[in-house]
Amino acid sequence: MTNAIGCTEMAAMLRGAAAEIRANHELLGKLDSVGGDGDHGTTMLRAMANLEKAVDAASGNDLKSLLYDVGWAILGVDGGATGPLLGMFFMGMSEAVEGCDTLDASALAAAFEAGVAGVRAQTKAQPGDKTMVDALVPAVMAAGCTAESGGDLLSVLRDAAAAAAAGAAATKDMQARFGRARNIKELSIGTPDAGATSVSFIFAGFLKGMDTNA
Amino acid sequence: MAMKKLLNKPENLVQEMLEGFVLANPGKVALEGANLVVRVAPKSKDKVALVTLGGSGHEPALSGFVGEGMLDISVPGEIFAAPGPPRVVEALRAANRDAGVLFIVLNHAGDVMSANLAMGMAKKEGINVKQVLTHEDISGGPRSNPEERRGLAGALPVIKVAGAAAEQGRSLDECLAVAERMEANMATLALAVSGATHPSTGDVIADIPEGMMVVGMGQHGEAGGGTQPLKSADETAEIMLAALLDDLQAKAGDEFLVMLNGVGSTTLMELYLVLRRVGQLLEAKGMKMARTLVGEILTVQEMGGFQMCIGRLDDELKALWDAPCNSPALTVK
Repeated sequence: MTNAIGCTEMAAMLRGAAAEIRANHELLGKLDSVGGDGDHGTTMLRAMANLEKAVDAASGNDLKSLLYDVGWAILGVDGGATGPLLGMFFMGMSEAVEGCDTLDASALAAAFEAGVAGVRAQTKAQPGDKTMVDALVPAVMAAGCTAESGGDLLSVLRDAAAAAAAGAAATKDMQARFGRARNIKELSIGTPDAGATSVSFIFAGFLKGMDTNA
Repeated sequence: MAMKKLLNKPENLVQEMLEGFVLANPGKVALEGANLVVRVAPKSKDKVALVTLGGSGHEPALSGFVGEGMLDISVPGEIFAAPGPPRVVEALRAANRDAGVLFIVLNHAGDVMSANLAMGMAKKEGINVKQVLTHEDISGGPRSNPEERRGLAGALPVIKVAGAAAEQGRSLDECLAVAERMEANMATLALAVSGATHPSTGDVIADIPEGMMVVGMGQHGEAGGGTQPLKSADETAEIMLAALLDDLQAKAGDEFLVMLNGVGSTTLMELYLVLRRVGQLLEAKGMKMARTLVGEILTVQEMGGFQMCIGRLDDELKALWDAPCNSPALTVK
């Protein structure tokens, strides 16, 4: 485990996220079919294929453009709200890493925070509304706390992944107030949100990409 | 309900559908760039261009309304899913002109996000684009809370009147004004009697119990409110029209466009029964069914049901509705 994230490490994290989504896409589709139209798994597969293409095509050692290209590629997925939201996460991260060759624990936590700001500029969804925000916000808060208390990169990723997973699991008991699932009102209670679950897989993948023992 | 559709590979579905759609409408529409649906005979550059975006699987909407007196460019997305901002920006660039671009967006989360991101980027490039958001589905919430209201088949009258205004050479602000006036005077309610399957995933969308119907269904048959035993055509017309007139605070003397949009498997025969009753009810209230449109406008695969959309017309909106147009799914001579 390195103590700085450059382009090589970021690429590994991104590929880790893609692998994790690919391994779980059927579950994502099933979760979405409860309140949505069941296409979240295939949408995420397309998003991750675009992500990998952008990572493959990236050259040089520019973290900002790597994350920008990944964000733009995901925006290009014709998948309803998922593309813009997830795309803006990486676009937000990209803006935050301007001028950085590598990221330490605090810089990574700050980049995650900027990513979530990018998402939240696109939606009025608040924590508790049963959306991907419910996984993103705790993940970013955990990353920030761990970095602030002097945790290393791996601890930041581990705590973010754990918080994202807990956040996604907690959406099970929530009633959807955003997205298509909103329309089934209380019937949305009992199934975790597909978008939040995707986010938890992405953070799990970030960790696995960096730490093959994870 | 097992899926029974004639398909090839799901991942090629939208592409193959678009290729067939263009072949079915030679001389009218073509594919350009990143699968943008455009007019074969473009409107002259001194007139306002109309652009829209939306998921596929709702044919003929929305690309079926690209044509003279209607849309200039439609950006079709994946099945039931909005296109991403990069293709939408490309469409706005392709439509760019001094006269400006009117961007018609149906209120669905994905469409709105994509549209707003694309608008922001286009404006940074100096493209003169203004947006009208359609949200006439009264089942989403009260008129005072438009964000909760989805855009359904009522996008068509907005496209029609704004498209006619643009064709006549009116300014962007004038086109926007008629579009907004049409939108503000419109109300739609969706009825579902049977569900459909998602053509890519095979998932059942909206499982309507036997003998039941649902008033207030969204475009994809998301479950929600209004489940009741199946009623007759007359009774159904009464329930739906009453809610729509109430929402519009209609009064005697009002003139309406009545549009019945079959969403897939409901027959024209049934829609004619409903329209007949709507005409009777309006007449009894001293209102006028000034214009009608019955058919498939915005479908949801093989779903059974229809959307009733009524729009209050004034003389100008009537004239724009009557103006000539020539698109794959609507032609006025």
